[in-house]
Amino acid sequence: MSDTMERSKTIALRVLRYRPASDTEPVFETYQVPYSDDMSVLQALQSIKDLQDGTLSFRWSCRMAICGSCGMMINGEPKLACNTFVRDLGPAATIEPLQNFPIERDLVVTVGDFVRKIESIYPYIVPKVPRSIEEGAYLQTPAQMAAYESFSDCINCMLCYAACPQFGANPDFIGPGAMALLQRYNGDSRDGGQQMRMDQIAGEDGVWSCTAVGICSEVCPKQVDPANAVNQNKSKSALDFFLRLLPGGSGS
Amino acid sequence: MSERRPYRRAQAPDWWARKPYLAYTIRELSGVGVALYGLVLLVGLIALRHGPESFAAYRAMLATPLSLLLHLVLLAAMLWHVVTWFQTMPKTMPKLIVGGVQVPQQRMMRIGWAVAAACSVLLLVCLVHVGGRP
Repeated sequence: MSDTMERSKTIALRVLRYRPASDTEPVFETYQVPYSDDMSVLQALQSIKDLQDGTLSFRWSCRMAICGSCGMMINGEPKLACNTFVRDLGPAATIEPLQNFPIERDLVVTVGDFVRKIESIYPYIVPKVPRSIEEGAYLQTPAQMAAYESFSDCINCMLCYAACPQFGANPDFIGPGAMALLQRYNGDSRDGGQQMRMDQIAGEDGVWSCTAVGICSEVCPKQVDPANAVNQNKSKSALDFFLRLLPGGSGS
Repeated sequence: MSERRPYRRAQAPDWWARKPYLAYTIRELSGVGVALYGLVLLVGLIALRHGPESFAAYRAMLATPLSLLLHLVLLAAMLWHVVTWFQTMPKTMPKLIVGGVQVPQQRMMRIGWAVAAACSVLLLVCLVHVGGRP
């Protein structure tokens, strides 16, 4: 009982530090952190910042796996720090910034490139048939919604990018997260923007950079299944390629 | 103080040999095994076209211990390829909605495995029935 409240045990957290003004490259620093059974890794980092080293930098906001800010490598696996209990890690653990992203400082990585990818896929519904307000709402059946629903659960935490070796090899690869968002709109029965989004699917750094490793879907904290979004668009891209070969099919 | 100097860590050159990616590497390598077995069968076809002596030599080659060992390895690769092929299949198709509800990927996988197993057994039965002579 007392374990839930009292910080009676201690974990050695090996945290990768990088201070761009003074460090030439990242170095590990170890902190002894007393913890209770109900503490998350995020809370452990907060306790380091409050009690041991105020210069430690990391992103966080909601503390409940909704905002997608606190993604980091915990013992080499991409995880949300708020969604991981210290008690499950053993007497020692390694904390690193998300793999495959440039490190800004400590556990904070550069997100600008990811945001540009999100912007590039027209992340909004392009109405198939524009309706006036008098005509009422766009209707959708539960089956039509089920076709894209999981993809709308993405919280942009970028764990899937940290898990993707192809993104690691080619940072320009559009990647699992952006493709999940793309499929959220492409799969929506009200949407008519599929042709606009074809360049992002079929282009040089589109879905064909994916080799179906599939770990992106395994690390996703929201069961979005981005691997499904990427790979079903390979069929779409191939179909589009052959349709263009038909008479009158070019530039459609 | 706003010095920006983003640091890019290099990808480990042996990422494919590490967990959890090793399973993926083995899956892809099993495809090489399938291709190799296709090659073995193709050689048999070519031998058959060259006449009875040639085909007898091909069969003698198949009966060598080295060839039997190779076939054991190729069988394992083939079986693993079937297992992982149906694991990957649901990821490559649009969500299957039946009666307004999404069909779980696990179920698609199991049906795939069952069909593959049924086809293999059927083929084996046919082979034994038609060419049953030792």
